[in-house]
Amino acid sequence: MYTLPQIIDRSALLFPEKDAFRCLEDSISYRELKHKSDQLAHQLNHSGVQKGNRVAVFMNRCLDTAVGIFGILKSGAAYVPIDPFAPVSRSVSILKDCGVEHLVTTETQRQKIRALTKDVDGLKTIVGMTPDADVNVETIPWEQVFSQVPHLDQLPGILEQDLAFILYTSGSTGIPKGIMHTHYSGLALAKIASRLYGFTENDKVGTFAPLHFDPSTFGYFAAPLAGATAVIIPDAHLSLPPSLSALVAKEKITIWYSVPLMLINALLYGEIEKHDFSSLRWVLFAGEVFTTKHLRALMQLWPHAKFSNLYGPAEVILCTYYHLKSIPQTDEPIPIGTVWDNTEYRILLEEGTEAPAGVPGELAVRTATMMRGYWNNPELTERSLYRIKVADGYDHVYYKTGDLVKENEQGQLLFLGRSDRQIKLRGFRIELDEIEQTLLKHEGVKEAVVVVVEGENDYRKLSAAINPMRGSHIDIRELKTFCKSHLPSYAIPESIEVASDFPRTSSGKIDRKEIIKNMGTKQL
Amino acid sequence: MKDKIINYIKSEISNDPLQDIGPEDDLLGSGIIDSLGMMKLVLFIEKECHMKINNEDMTVENFMTVQNILNFLGKDQG
Repeated sequence: MYTLPQIIDRSALLFPEKDAFRCLEDSISYRELKHKSDQLAHQLNHSGVQKGNRVAVFMNRCLDTAVGIFGILKSGAAYVPIDPFAPVSRSVSILKDCGVEHLVTTETQRQKIRALTKDVDGLKTIVGMTPDADVNVETIPWEQVFSQVPHLDQLPGILEQDLAFILYTSGSTGIPKGIMHTHYSGLALAKIASRLYGFTENDKVGTFAPLHFDPSTFGYFAAPLAGATAVIIPDAHLSLPPSLSALVAKEKITIWYSVPLMLINALLYGEIEKHDFSSLRWVLFAGEVFTTKHLRALMQLWPHAKFSNLYGPAEVILCTYYHLKSIPQTDEPIPIGTVWDNTEYRILLEEGTEAPAGVPGELAVRTATMMRGYWNNPELTERSLYRIKVADGYDHVYYKTGDLVKENEQGQLLFLGRSDRQIKLRGFRIELDEIEQTLLKHEGVKEAVVVVVEGENDYRKLSAAINPMRGSHIDIRELKTFCKSHLPSYAIPESIEVASDFPRTSSGKIDRKEIIKNMGTKQL
Repeated sequence: MKDKIINYIKSEISNDPLQDIGPEDDLLGSGIIDSLGMMKLVLFIEKECHMKINNEDMTVENFMTVQNILNFLGKDQG
C-alpha cells in the first residue's frame, strides 16, 4: 500500500459491511465509501480535474467529508479543507492562494457558497449543491454524482510522493500558509499511529478535529487503515459538554483523541459521572499542554483507560509520544516523551549548533510524516529546515519546530514552550509559560494566558487573563499575592483580567495574538 | 426575545454579517456559532433573562436552533 485511497479500497475488501464512518444516526460502510468515492473521482475527472489540481472541501462535519476526501484523492488531486467557521474573506484568500477551480460541499453551506463565489473568479464547478440563482458557477448535486457508473480504469495513477492535502494555518505574519502533505507522509502517519496504539477493526475512533486541523488524519486515515470505525463528533457537541459526554458514551468510543480543551470541558461540565465510559481504552491528546491538575482528575475518573500525550506541529503532523504510566503526583507539566517510529531529532542552540545534554534548545525533527513544504513559498520552506550535509548533494533534512525542549535524565523530551515565548523584559529573562503554569496552580483558575502588551513610548508590560472555573469567584488581589509567593517580582503580571472564555483558533487552541489585540483595546 | 437572540447572533457572534438566520436554522452544525460564540450566547441569555443556565442544560437539544433556545427558556411568544 502506498497511497491514501488504497486504505479504503483494502478495507472495502476485508470488511465490506463494517461501518467506516459514523455521524449521529448516519453511517457509511467501507463498501459504500469505496463506491461513492470512486463515483466522485469519476465526476471530478469528468468536470476537468487533473492530477496535481487542488480541490477544496467546504463542509460541516458529516459523512460526506469522507466521500469528499477520498473521492478527491482518487481523482489525482489534493484536497484543501476550508473551515466553515472561518470568515468568508479568509476562505477566499486560501482558495485564491492555491488556485482552486473545483469545490466539494454540502447543502448546509449554501449561504457561504453564495458569498464565496462572488469573490473567487476561477471557480469552475461546485459539487454537492443544487443549482442556485445567486451562484454563477456550474453546480453538480450529489444525486448526479451518485448516479454515475465509475470507470475505474480511467482514474489517474497516483504515486506516493504526489501531493495529497494542503492544510492552511495562520502564519506568524497573519497571512495563512499552506502546509503540503503527500500520500507518503499521510500514510506514514496512519501506519505509525495505528501500530503505536494497536488499532483494530473493533475500535471506534472519536474524530473530534476539524478537517483543516492535522489531527483529523487519525480519524480519516489511521482508523480506516485498521478497519476501525471513525465516529465523527459533530460541531454542536464540541461546544456543549453534556451532549459531548453523552455521545461518546452512547457510541462506545474506544479511542478519544482531541485537544486537551475537549477533555477538560467534559471533565468540568460534561457530567461524565452520569455515563458509562468503560469502552474507552486510549485517551490521546495533543496540540496544547494539558494542565496537569485537570489531567490527574480525569485519570482518577477513568482508571481503566490509558493516557498518552502526543506532540507535533502540523508540518510533521506528529512526532513524539508519552504514555502515562501512573497518575502524576505533582503539577509539573508531563513530558512530550520520545520520538516515534521512523523519526529522529536534534536539539539546536540559537547559533545552529547542537545543545549539550540537558540544555534547552529548539527541537528539529526528521521524519516520515514530514511535509513536502509550504505551498508556493520555497523561501519560507527553506527557512524552516535544518540541513546536515552527509555528502555532496545529499543532506539529512530536519524541520525546525520553533519549540523549546530539553531532555530530562531519562532521555524524555520536556516541552518548554514556543521559542518566542521566552522574552526579555527590563533586562530580565522571563518564561511566559512558567507564569501561566503558576496561575493555573490556583484552584479557582481553569485556564490562564500571559502575554506581553506593547504600550505607548515603547513601554511593554506583562498582562494576564484568566478564565475562572465556572461558578468560582476570583479575587484578583489574592491571585496576585498567590503569584508573589511563587514567582520573582519582575514576573508578576501588572494586570490580571477575568474573561468568561478566550478567543480560540478554529482548532480550539487559545488564540494569544487575538488576546493581545483585545488587551490593547481593553475589550476582553 | 426571538429577535433579540437573532440580532445578538448576527451582530456579535456570526463571522459574516451577510448571514440570514431563521428560528429553525442549525446554529451549531452549519458554521454560524463556534464554541466561543456559544459561551457568549449563554452569557447574553443569562443577562437578558436574569437567570443562570446550569451546566446540565447546555445540550444540543436546548441550543441547536433559536427555536430550541426559546422552547428551553419557555418564553416563546413568537
